[in-house]
Amino acid sequence: MKELMRWMLVAVLTCGSTSSIMAQKGHKANTQDALPSKELKADVNRAAGIYYALPVELENKGKGHKNAIVPFNDTPAPDGKLPFYINHYACPCSYYLDNAEDYNAPYAIFAKADSLGKLTPLGRDVKRRLALIREDALGRTGELTAKGAQQSRAITKRLIDRLPSAFRPDGYYSVRSIVKNRCILTMQEGMLQMSTMRHPISIRSRATKTEYPFMDPTDEKLTSAWTNEKTSTLFAQFASLNDSHTRLMEALFNDQNFIITHFDAAKLARQLFRLASSIQHTELAGKVTLFDIFTPDEIHRHWRRQNVLNYMRYGGYTGNGGTQPYQQRSTLRNMIHMGDSVLKRYAPLSHLRYTNEQVILALASLMELDNCGVQTDNLDSLEAMGWADYRIAPLGGSIVMIHYRKDHFDEDVLVKVLLNEREARLPIETDCAPYYHWNDVKRYYLRKLYRYENTRFDGITEPQRIFR
Amino acid sequence: MKGKRSLFLLLLIATLLPAGAQTVIDLIREKPQYASCNYNTYPDSIKAKQTPAPQGKHPFYISHYGRHGSRYINNRSGFDIPYKMMLHADSVEELTPIGKRVLEEARLIMADTEGQWGDLTSYGKKQQRQIGRRMAENFPEVLCPGARVTAISTVVTRCVESMGSFLTEMLQVEPQLNITMEASQRNMWFLNARTPLRNNYLTPEAKKAYEAYIANRTGNSRLMEMIFKNPDIVEELVDESYFNYYLMKMGLFQSNTHLYMNTFLKDLFHTDELYRMWQIDNVLWYIQHGACKLNGGRQPYSQAGLLRKLIADADSCLQMERPGVQLRFGHETVLLPLVCLIGVNGYDLATDNLDELEEKGWWCSSIFPMASNLQFIFYRSGLNDKDVLLKVLLNEEEAQLPIPTDCAPYYHWNDFRSYCLQKISQ
Repeated sequence: MKELMRWMLVAVLTCGSTSSIMAQKGHKANTQDALPSKELKADVNRAAGIYYALPVELENKGKGHKNAIVPFNDTPAPDGKLPFYINHYACPCSYYLDNAEDYNAPYAIFAKADSLGKLTPLGRDVKRRLALIREDALGRTGELTAKGAQQSRAITKRLIDRLPSAFRPDGYYSVRSIVKNRCILTMQEGMLQMSTMRHPISIRSRATKTEYPFMDPTDEKLTSAWTNEKTSTLFAQFASLNDSHTRLMEALFNDQNFIITHFDAAKLARQLFRLASSIQHTELAGKVTLFDIFTPDEIHRHWRRQNVLNYMRYGGYTGNGGTQPYQQRSTLRNMIHMGDSVLKRYAPLSHLRYTNEQVILALASLMELDNCGVQTDNLDSLEAMGWADYRIAPLGGSIVMIHYRKDHFDEDVLVKVLLNEREARLPIETDCAPYYHWNDVKRYYLRKLYRYENTRFDGITEPQRIFR
Repeated sequence: MKGKRSLFLLLLIATLLPAGAQTVIDLIREKPQYASCNYNTYPDSIKAKQTPAPQGKHPFYISHYGRHGSRYINNRSGFDIPYKMMLHADSVEELTPIGKRVLEEARLIMADTEGQWGDLTSYGKKQQRQIGRRMAENFPEVLCPGARVTAISTVVTRCVESMGSFLTEMLQVEPQLNITMEASQRNMWFLNARTPLRNNYLTPEAKKAYEAYIANRTGNSRLMEMIFKNPDIVEELVDESYFNYYLMKMGLFQSNTHLYMNTFLKDLFHTDELYRMWQIDNVLWYIQHGACKLNGGRQPYSQAGLLRKLIADADSCLQMERPGVQLRFGHETVLLPLVCLIGVNGYDLATDNLDELEEKGWWCSSIFPMASNLQFIFYRSGLNDKDVLLKVLLNEEEAQLPIPTDCAPYYHWNDFRSYCLQKISQ
């Protein structure tokens, strides 16, 4: 009862603060977006957050189907303008969890419990499933899965099919990946798809650390705020409010004493949830699940916890300054720089870059695509404001800025941004949405970047560091 | 009369064998990077002819192990040696004008390599694209529409990227290939086996023979005179043999990068100096990976697991109607012992006399340049043909195997299989 009261209070507070902040920032609630709680029910895999795999299926399975896909309604470009430059930043596709411990540790707990007769019948069945999941991932932790490979090809195919005139035979494709095998393989699967569809083709790929400054930049000043006392405390409070593991543990283990003395129950619940999220990426999808051991409410809470953590680290959380998205300022600056430097070209060019999903998360927030730019310190209001990590940077997700013009001499270049393959809104005025005038886009973002960078030239240390 | 005839025959044979007469010095004169052994570059075109398969036999399966293409040096320590020696000498005003220029070159090369240690170069990608293209062009019966291509690589970035370049180009020849790619830890046990053999090669006996062999081959007083004002004084700062060896390497390695046009460092060295370094390296590679009797002759067995896997893979593929292609991307430290283990082109040479290697044709640079590869091409007349034939290509040239055959360069798969299994069971 107490809990219910608290939730009602939170709900009331949330509504108030949401509308005021949104009005202030000029955001309109996207009526197309359902509430995350509904979306999670429609497809529980979304609860994986940024570890959710963007669906591969191309055909629309019909309204009401679990994986019903809204078809891409591409708005035609005005005045017969054609795409001539694609600037693309993508997340890796489906991969196995990074640490062998993610697979081993929960299994070890269940194996021990089983040997002592501490598992319920459901617990024993979960142990069986954990063994299958662990075996599947053996020797492959952190690697792109077979589904991930298919996903990358399907996504590349969709991009080429939607923009045939940007993928002309005389086009040039500069393809880059950070030095991480799943990103390199995601890139290479995309290259294979391109090579299948275009003959001849000029693709030059590279996986190198030399381009990290605008593919996966780091900013210690900003990231140090993740672990400062204030952020840690606020997150711990939020996490404990949203924690839920007691029911689950009692459903799996038959001895309270064993639960208390042998492992960290909250941690095990999180580990099981992570494994549940990971199954969608593997061949076990559809054969094995772990989401069934959680109630819808527990699933929601696990997701909320992770969503908030991602928001605090990569979103516009004002509780630690509201500047975390600026981690990706050099990435955005490079996008703008490239947009200008390709203007003199005659043949189409594509820059396809593959990086970490966190880069996309922060970059989408920095660019204020759709609802990604929301700024608040009210963590409970986050989902009502439409900031849901699985919408922004799922595996296979991407930000694609497409540049259009009539011909080589057309000075009114337009851009359109696709966020995870759907036309996105930019925080900029336009007369031809979802197309925006390149000069407006450039002005808005550069001013935004300068404004922030000015605040960083506060002491003597910064310039010194740059010119060293 | 008889003598005249045999003399004529001898002359005829001599004119027919110009290639066989080529010495290592000739090769280095033509292509200095031949002296840098595993940094030798892959040929830009393959001129060797392909012998037609015996009547009625068609290629149906290809099994491959390839090294990554040209790369940068793995870490800076090799370059640091001559660089720091020159810096040190410069600080005490001991560099000649040429020496100062050499220091500048070294600085340029190090700046260029910075941040890219061990990376595949664009030249390396080009090599892989060309090999992939030639494979698809030369074996259209295997790489036909719908053919299955299973590619795996070690988890090392340059190998993963080699695989991607190879396959992307293959699709330009035949777009309808059914390709899978994987770079997984779970394949490392055979793609890049780490056995104790790898570290324990320099037994006391081998060490003694090696040191005796290199004793009068290291050092380069001409180079010292050229770079340092007072070679006798800088002895305190500069180890002559190290300096010579690593500066030479630094120059030769650039053949693999986009600085290949800049031959300044390379040109400092005379052919005979490059040749001496090649000799030193060649024997060391032999002791490490060849069937050297000085350390027991077992070094090539580091790849017994890989060979067994290649055979097992072939066994299952032979059961299929259209098995397609299996590509594996790895390293020279695997390819060299594998070639020695199988005995391709006589590289199973077993000796304890290091002086014999060169005259008997054990030249490592010919086996494992960047992008080097071993391809096993399988032939048969149909699914029920029990007499499957095999042709081995080392760097895309037909190779000889140490087993009898009636149709060289084709060999009977069953003979090859039992030869290998018997050898690795020893």
